[in-house]
Amino acid sequence: MVSKLSQLQTELLAALLESGLSKEALIQALGEPGPYLLPADGPRDKGESCGGGRGELAELPNGLGEARGSEDETDDDGEDFTPPILKELENLSPEEAAHQKAVVETLLQEDPWRVAKMVKSYLQQHNIPQREVVDTTGLNQSHLSQHLNKGTPMKTQKRAALYTWYVRKQREVAQQFTHAGQGGLIEEPTGDELPTKKGRRNRFKWGPASQQILFQAYERQKNPSKEEREALVEECNRAECIQRGVSPSQAQGLGSNLVTEVRVYNWFANRRKEEAFRHKLAMDTYSGPPPGPGPGPTLPAHSSPGLPPPALSPSKVHGVRYGQPATSEGEEVPSSSGGPLVTVSAPLHQVSPTGLEPSHSLLSTEAKLVSATGGPLPPVSTLTALHSLEQTSPGLNQQPQNLIMASLPGVMAIGPGEPASLGPTFTNTGASTLVIGLASTQAQSVPVINSMGSSLTTLQPVQFSQPLHPSYQQPLMPPMQSHVAQSPFMATMAQLQSPHALYSHKPEVAQYTHTGLLPQTMLITDTTNLSALASLTPTKQVFTSDTEASSESGLHTPASQTTTIHIPSQDPAGIQHLQPAHRLSASPTVPSSSLVLYQSSDSNNGHSHLLPSNHSVIETFISTQMASSSQ
Amino acid sequence: MAGKAHRLSAEEREQLLPNLRAVGWNELEGRDAIFKQFHFKDFNRAFGFMTRVALQAEKLDHHPEWFNVYNKVHITLSTHECAGLSERDINLASFIEQVAVSMT
Repeated sequence: MVSKLSQLQTELLAALLESGLSKEALIQALGEPGPYLLPADGPRDKGESCGGGRGELAELPNGLGEARGSEDETDDDGEDFTPPILKELENLSPEEAAHQKAVVETLLQEDPWRVAKMVKSYLQQHNIPQREVVDTTGLNQSHLSQHLNKGTPMKTQKRAALYTWYVRKQREVAQQFTHAGQGGLIEEPTGDELPTKKGRRNRFKWGPASQQILFQAYERQKNPSKEEREALVEECNRAECIQRGVSPSQAQGLGSNLVTEVRVYNWFANRRKEEAFRHKLAMDTYSGPPPGPGPGPTLPAHSSPGLPPPALSPSKVHGVRYGQPATSEGEEVPSSSGGPLVTVSAPLHQVSPTGLEPSHSLLSTEAKLVSATGGPLPPVSTLTALHSLEQTSPGLNQQPQNLIMASLPGVMAIGPGEPASLGPTFTNTGASTLVIGLASTQAQSVPVINSMGSSLTTLQPVQFSQPLHPSYQQPLMPPMQSHVAQSPFMATMAQLQSPHALYSHKPEVAQYTHTGLLPQTMLITDTTNLSALASLTPTKQVFTSDTEASSESGLHTPASQTTTIHIPSQDPAGIQHLQPAHRLSASPTVPSSSLVLYQSSDSNNGHSHLLPSNHSVIETFISTQMASSSQ
Repeated sequence: MAGKAHRLSAEEREQLLPNLRAVGWNELEGRDAIFKQFHFKDFNRAFGFMTRVALQAEKLDHHPEWFNVYNKVHITLSTHECAGLSERDINLASFIEQVAVSMT
């Protein structure tokens, strides 16, 4: 039926139909009883009638998307490409159906990965859950996810189903937005694919644009009034519409993802609860006179989102306790074997030559930490180390150090043999490096800390298992805001981290805003260790929380991370050490084995004196660690 | 009437324009407007694109200034009521992007 149309006519008709015009309306506008016969009348006639029709149509209100039900059923057919003839009248004109098929064919010819990216970005743009696609296409959810995210091949037949859904969805959404301005939808195809069948509405999901707005508002005021909330509702809906390329006046078209005042209210309530929880955790683990006031208690880098507080409390502030057994081994190389979390502050001593055994845990040379701990005394050797190391004025160093520790929820994981690993290298004297030994680990990583004046100490990565104290995030935020140049970003990051940590929520926001932000943070050289920590934090988080998505939030720029190390270090040489390690840490999502690989390559540049041979061992450890941490 | 016709403040511009700039919209000199050139495979596609944009423009009641020669379309967006850029321009630009992407 379409064959008699010229291509331009087809294009124009498609445009008309996609703008929300139904076939019925078109036919009525044309005033022709037999639309199917039009093509047979000859191109000229059709052209005329179409021309006439178009003129009329221009004044017709856009036809409503009729028979959603029919479309739904068609979808139900498992993406049967040939809509039942009976539904044809309702389901778009034959031209539209043919047009859709043509588009699908075009997409199939294209490079599957490119189309997958297109579809994926569309899903993100409109905040459509994968579940909806799976339900209507009958594809396997895991397969679909892999195809869209990683490019796993998908058979043509299935891709056709996906593309068909995509094409139809676009039309539906376009119509939905069109009708939104006209007072409601017939059904809500976007939000509820099969209302009659399943009666399920898509779960509301915050879009990145809205979240950004909300976080900014949260910074200003944690408890907005009803008026403010309503204003935020408007703002968020407007942003969401713009993100979708739609006029904000048709916000109703957002369907299930429409932001309402209640949702904003809940969002604020949840953020407040989150903060209280983090604060509580911080307080729990905080023990002894805090060396640095900081925004939050100085916490050893325990934080791990989701770790039960009980696990944390024993670890105490400095985690020295945990480190104790480990620390007893070497002077600055506390072996963590079996030890719980250990906070390691890089001692100034030259540990590397002596202690880089994988089994060694972190060194906690943080005098403050150790001494501050009221609990179990660290091994004498450690104390000695601490005392000897402790030189700097507590004030300046402590704070940053504390903060660093605190804000290293995830920093701890450091590749074996890597001097610098994630451990933030801090200005020394006090052994600024923090290495966190994980409880269960056999610890391999021992941060090797160069005692020299350099702030960077090589740390052997310490793997820590889960118990990273989430409270780190709290101290992280304030320092970040004060120190980090890109504070808004970091604040967002921190905030992102928090929810991520606590609710296992994927920091998807990062996806939209991450570009370059992390690197920026990393590059802040004039900030204190905090920045290093801050930058490291995300990395660590990823490790412990074992979410792949989080890695995207900026961890994918290993290069940038290396820069961070530069920041606190006063000794350029020391920095070198850290760089390689740091790079390693930048790949949170990388499986532990690959992490190790990175480290290996890096270590070649860096400290050769570190025990590269540990890699394999470390690898095992890491694997173990990761496995254990993912419990 | 869709959107507001008030001129965008510097703050709003800073917030909204980067996204558009990233996809190729440029601010014109000597005039508070944004401009972009589109390129299609042939006239049919170009005009199909223009038709879609036109229909949406009608819906939004905000029309672009454009020029078309065969497969090229130059679009300038500005709001005459405020003699500059407004939300309507941003909205329409977003929509135009969406259409352009989904087409060729």
